[in-house]
Amino acid sequence: MRYTSEKALKDVFIACGEGKRKFEIVNPLDENVKIKGKKMDIRVFEDPDGFSYLIWKNHKYQVDILEKNQNKYTVIINGVWYYFSIETPISYKRRKFLIKSEVSSKTERIVAPMPGKILDILVEENTEIKQGEAVLILEAMKMQNEILANITGKVKKIYVRQNDSVMKDDILIEIEKF
Amino acid sequence: MKINSLLIANRGEIAIRVIQTAKLMGIETWVIKTSKEPNALYLSAADKVIDFTDHAEDIPEFLDIEKIVSAVKEHNISAVHPGYGFLAESPVFAQRCEDENIIFIGPSPEAILKMGNKTIAKQLARKHKVPLLEGSLGDVKDPQEAREIARKIGYPVILKAASGGGGRGMRIVENDGELEKMFKMASSEAAKAFNDPAVFVEKYVRNPRHIEFQIFGDKQGNIIHLGERECSVQRKHQKLIEESPSAALDKALREKMGLAAINIAKSVNYYSAGTVEFLLDSDNKFYFMEMNTRIQVEHPVTEMVTGLDLIELQIRVAQDEPLPLKQKDVQCNGWAFEFRINAEDVQAGFSPSLGTIEKMSLPRSKNIRIDSGIQEGAVITPYFDSMIAKLIIHGENREKAILYSANALKKLWIKGLKTTIPFCKAVLNNSSFKKGKYDTSFLQSEMKIHYFQDKDAEMLAAFFATYDFARSLKEDEDKTVDFDKGKNITPWILNKRLKSR
Repeated sequence: MRYTSEKALKDVFIACGEGKRKFEIVNPLDENVKIKGKKMDIRVFEDPDGFSYLIWKNHKYQVDILEKNQNKYTVIINGVWYYFSIETPISYKRRKFLIKSEVSSKTERIVAPMPGKILDILVEENTEIKQGEAVLILEAMKMQNEILANITGKVKKIYVRQNDSVMKDDILIEIEKF
Repeated sequence: MKINSLLIANRGEIAIRVIQTAKLMGIETWVIKTSKEPNALYLSAADKVIDFTDHAEDIPEFLDIEKIVSAVKEHNISAVHPGYGFLAESPVFAQRCEDENIIFIGPSPEAILKMGNKTIAKQLARKHKVPLLEGSLGDVKDPQEAREIARKIGYPVILKAASGGGGRGMRIVENDGELEKMFKMASSEAAKAFNDPAVFVEKYVRNPRHIEFQIFGDKQGNIIHLGERECSVQRKHQKLIEESPSAALDKALREKMGLAAINIAKSVNYYSAGTVEFLLDSDNKFYFMEMNTRIQVEHPVTEMVTGLDLIELQIRVAQDEPLPLKQKDVQCNGWAFEFRINAEDVQAGFSPSLGTIEKMSLPRSKNIRIDSGIQEGAVITPYFDSMIAKLIIHGENREKAILYSANALKKLWIKGLKTTIPFCKAVLNNSSFKKGKYDTSFLQSEMKIHYFQDKDAEMLAAFFATYDFARSLKEDEDKTVDFDKGKNITPWILNKRLKSR
């Protein structure tokens, strides 16, 4: 019976947060849910006016899914966001393997954290750069934002020019690790 | 001359704020519609809308003096209110209005010009014996000159745009090595933002408090102050939370600083609303910084404690009426806070958060005021600054005002993008802030985490994400029923199903 075995697997989820933070969550996903082995009385409500909220220990928490891409979620609770990828025990093992292989990659890309205009580029290709040094200045919402190098290495390629407009997540600069 | 109609050469919450008062005074209100936000809330608040949606992009709509002036003349509008930002502190615009017999709701072009130039403003302050910080007497021409002055007065120093304001074109320099880079950045930012690359050097006071006085003058020569505002909760010189009065001032210091503020204003025969900014150091010594010749974003806290409508006073003074009150009539009651709700991602270093306001739920009560320029469905674009609303709270005293603020922030829900609400909550939760013992270094020194996180919220978020994920899985599963009936199946799922059989 293939179907039941599939169903059995869906009884356990692992919500993986940033860093190594994770929550094991066991079905049913209602007030009988078990999180990290403990039974939690969480209730989900959806207001007719469009807000969702959770009731937990007599407190009301405004909750909202800001972004969702397959199993990757950005959830906002009372204005603070949390990033999770929701895994099954099998996909969790695969994910661990993938993360290991990513670490060994040699280059790091700096992407635009927001849409804006490149005011100035402060580095040149084939020069060394230290982690935390400013690589360029991006203007958005009338503010100049210094974009910093996330690793120490050599500037391999600059993908933008001064006065270019960029979208969020556009690749700006590639840095090669030493 | 009586004002019958009024164009607000601005957008967002301040346009709506001016419209509210103008309507109460029986004045017809006009606003400008731009292609950047053709469905903005301020457009529906006004009586009449002028269409600038065909505007060519060489200068932004709200900075196009000639176009605004000709629109005012075409529609026979008697006055212009510039709000804050944009043309609010443009002496050229104020002069053009005067030349065209349009009433400019603000100070005289001369006052804007003199106070807008920080070098002249400082010279006036020196002449009137208002305390100042050491620094260059005027603009410095290059990094070398800046370095000489910096060495003389000692590091740290601050570089400031001569025509600047609002934190742009400002750089703190800790040592010789940083000076050249910082000079270039300050100067280029100043050139871009204010059309003037000139910068000056000044001694930098570490961790001062930012205290400003609201002053008001009329054309008959009366000048009064309406107490102070404390704006020390700042990030990169951008104010985030303001309060009035300030916990740092006692009656004697308030009187002394208020008098200094009035003297500055008198030096340019000031009329209309203005703000004199001071730095207050840890020894309670104060130094004149600059005067802002406009209505400020944070004017509501002054309105809450004085019970005055500053926009009404601006309009009355503009139509040549004398101020209806004297200094001794100014009464300050209770305490007020203003929280700026910005579309910013606090967890990602306050970077702009763009998106659509899907839903909003605003707290309501007699001590809560919300000045906002947005409605559900509003799109937050990168064209304008990130402030979307201001939450203003009044209480009988500081302690109560903090309590009411915390309650109001809990009930303020905005869905669809990231805002500074969790930041405001975190500030209210901070013990130094609660005691009123904070300065402009507050964000760096006192707040390890810049947002308030509910206990267990992360676990609840993990649960909710999983809950939604499981629900989507189930929906996918339910689609197999359709498959059995041979209906509504996407090729992708069909392919997957076939492979798994």
